[in-house]
Amino acid sequence: MKQLITLKVNNDQYEIAANPWETLLSVLRDQLGLNSPKRGCDAGGCGCCTVHIDGGAVYSCMMFAHSAQDCEITTVEGISKGKSLHPLQEAFIDKGAVQCGYCTSGILMSAKQYIDEGGGSEEKQIRQSLSGNLCRCTGYQKIVDAVKSVAENKIA
Amino acid sequence: MGNKLNTRVVGTRMRRPDALDKVTGGRGYVFNMKLNGMLYGKMLRSMYPHARILSIDTSAAEKLPGVKSILTAKDVPSKAFAPIYIKDMYSDGVRDVRVLDNVVRYTGEPIAAVAATTLDIAEEAIKLIDVEYEELPHYFNMHDAIREGATQINREFENNICLSPVIEEGDLERGFAEADHIFENTYSTHRVHTCYMEPWMSIADASADGKVTIHSSTQHVFGLREKLAYILDIPLSDISVIKPHYIGGGFGSKTEISSAEPLAVILSQKTGKPVRMENSREEDFITNARTPMEVTLKTGVKNDGTITAREIHVIADCGPYATYGPEAMMICALGGAYTTYRCKNRKFTGQAILTNNMRAGAYRGIGGVQGCFATESQIDEICETLNLDPIEFRLKNAHQAGDPNPITDVFTPGAFKLESYRYEECLREGSAQSGFHKRMPAGSSQGSKKRGIGMASQPLWVSGCVGFPDIPEQSGAIVRINPDGTASLSIPTIDIGSGQITTMCQIAAEELGLKADQVKMNYHLSSDILPFEPPTHASRATYSAGNAVKKAASQAKQRILEIAASMLEANSEDLEIQEGLVFVKGVPARRLSVAEIAQYTESALVQLTPESIKKGKIEDKGTILCTASAAPQSNPSTPCAMFVEVEVDTDTGEVSVLEVTYAHDIGKVINPTSAEGQVEGAVQQGIGFTLMEHMQFDQDTGACLTSNFLDYKMPTAVEMPSKINCIFIESIEPTGPFGAKGLGETPLIVPAPAIANAVYNATGVRIRSLPITPEKILTALEKL
Repeated sequence: MKQLITLKVNNDQYEIAANPWETLLSVLRDQLGLNSPKRGCDAGGCGCCTVHIDGGAVYSCMMFAHSAQDCEITTVEGISKGKSLHPLQEAFIDKGAVQCGYCTSGILMSAKQYIDEGGGSEEKQIRQSLSGNLCRCTGYQKIVDAVKSVAENKIA
Repeated sequence: MGNKLNTRVVGTRMRRPDALDKVTGGRGYVFNMKLNGMLYGKMLRSMYPHARILSIDTSAAEKLPGVKSILTAKDVPSKAFAPIYIKDMYSDGVRDVRVLDNVVRYTGEPIAAVAATTLDIAEEAIKLIDVEYEELPHYFNMHDAIREGATQINREFENNICLSPVIEEGDLERGFAEADHIFENTYSTHRVHTCYMEPWMSIADASADGKVTIHSSTQHVFGLREKLAYILDIPLSDISVIKPHYIGGGFGSKTEISSAEPLAVILSQKTGKPVRMENSREEDFITNARTPMEVTLKTGVKNDGTITAREIHVIADCGPYATYGPEAMMICALGGAYTTYRCKNRKFTGQAILTNNMRAGAYRGIGGVQGCFATESQIDEICETLNLDPIEFRLKNAHQAGDPNPITDVFTPGAFKLESYRYEECLREGSAQSGFHKRMPAGSSQGSKKRGIGMASQPLWVSGCVGFPDIPEQSGAIVRINPDGTASLSIPTIDIGSGQITTMCQIAAEELGLKADQVKMNYHLSSDILPFEPPTHASRATYSAGNAVKKAASQAKQRILEIAASMLEANSEDLEIQEGLVFVKGVPARRLSVAEIAQYTESALVQLTPESIKKGKIEDKGTILCTASAAPQSNPSTPCAMFVEVEVDTDTGEVSVLEVTYAHDIGKVINPTSAEGQVEGAVQQGIGFTLMEHMQFDQDTGACLTSNFLDYKMPTAVEMPSKINCIFIESIEPTGPFGAKGLGETPLIVPAPAIANAVYNATGVRIRSLPITPEKILTALEKL
């Protein structure tokens, strides 16, 4: 039985009807029309669907939409300010960290948590912070370079 | 030809034009697409590896509200087809697959399809379909499948062998007699999946007038069109395949057609609504996989390291259909072992075996991966035994620039030469930068964590397929000059992540004399307007498509110059274009912008201005729009060499890859960032294949046990080496666009033997069967 819930996504309030078993991923994609959380596996294995719940990276395919009520939900669509890209988005373009790009949204959100929490430029820590996200194209090298450049600039 | 070329746009690290969309949400994927009134399709799949379907009862499913159509074998064409696109599409070889059949030959093979108003209802409906099976004997092991008396799996092939080629040259017996040493070993490889991230999906939209439009995350616009037309008996021109802007990875998997696309079309025809068919990850894992093979290599060698004879026997597990398995086996032998080094006396025999495992597919480096593992592992064994230097051994037996192309020569003798070929520099530079020659003797590393350095190479590969049997290799491109001074580039090549959107724009900009950002990729394309092209596969796009783009751009440039000559009252030979400006050579003041020229071609013949009446020339009018389509002039080879440092924990058996140095000769590097990305990504897939990834199946039911990313382990950022040193030894390939050659596959071909040889160097233990698991290492170290 569908129930009305209120979700706060990228600072906008939405009232939607969802079954209790519907995942946050399917609601974000199918009802709110957000493209950035991607379905890769629907089983919490690939990280393509990563979004922020109250600033923390979460697999949106592993969370019920109902559980996300009263939370601040952020997707890639919400990290740039108007036309001005987030430094991570800039760095991903600049360093060539994007290939097929299907994993990019999820990786950006994991990286954003790392940067938001004051993560440093140590490669090992950056790699750990991205270990919940799979990428099949890049070998992660340029992704790590991109996150590192943002971490370094932040410190500087 | 020298190894340097002066270019302005080619060779720069131009940013990907598609990256902006991809970092801001990624709208361009077909996966995001929905159409009004769209239904959701789902397939019911077999629970048994080999069974006859006695009956199917769909009555309960039909009654479920929201179910709009159900298809079983009786509702779809029974015409057999070849699902792979590479075979000549107008004269298919083996046609042995049906959209839905009354016999299932692997667990997970589609049996029925449903279209419903929601995905949940479609999934619910397939659970309500009742199937009565009669189980048939099944074979998961190649050797069991070819035992006498085994049940025939595929209608087309007795004895469960779909290809058993013999290719030979010289005198094998004499070659072995000339040898001082003979080495004979068997190397085996396993089944892994490409793991593209965007699910394989399509939306079919059949309209009332019989026309069909299809959106798909395919790697091949034209293959999808031809196969659908053939299977469904629809006129070719009534099918429009919409080219995806880009797809979320393919790596070869999406170069074939599955049952899903024809089923989506039929469901759409029956319901009059668009039907979306998307794979779950569990379904994606059983689409197709790298062909497991056993390669037995017998090599005769003189004391000085000269190879005198080579006998190759390959058996390949194709699954139940002759899809990519036989192709992969041929490439394994010919590209991986038969041609790679000079050897006059050689023979290849193979058996492509049908089993009740999932279908063999075309995974990046098809066949070459398996062949290279055998060849390059055995060279390491030969060099260890005879105390020869692995670099010098390879060079002693290597082909040279100017030699006939050894791969294409098998089928088209004398047609092509190795023009640019800097294999030696790949070996020497990689060796120098990796410290290979400073490595310790095998097994001498002290302590429980042992370090070792290994290397392997792939002396030959392809840049496309011209010269090979049955595989078309034509590319095309359309260049339009816009009144704002930019050029629109329309190409059938699908960017599967490999960067063609960038590199093709660079090639066009270079040729046209425009700035890098003045060439725009046209994303709104379909099979109706595009020239023919094979899939984005076989390391072909940069080379073959690049040549077509350059040709179309060159024609457009000629036209720009002609019109500019008319406008400036100059000779077109005296004009040149730089950064979007056309000027008389040596007189930069007499100039026009490309924008002014394009505006003039599209403006009225007579223009009234407040001051005057301006009249143009009638022959100058008309949009500058040039199309080119042609096969490339050659099939140049991309040699490479990889050096790997590993650490093996001899207490746990775990292997870590610490550092990689990878040298390639890919001709002129069109975009270094893209090229590095190809190599770095392939290293991830190579480490996964060699050490971590292995598809597992239930030995009773054939069900895939590793059909999600929690059970199927691929490297994350943590398992990757901290350093991947990409070296590009630039050459200028005379037949390539601005000297370029292909790259896509080679970086994934070499990691397995390079890592295996490094593991040997660290531990003194040789593993000849992939993947190299902790269990195998501990067993070999006699710790288990």
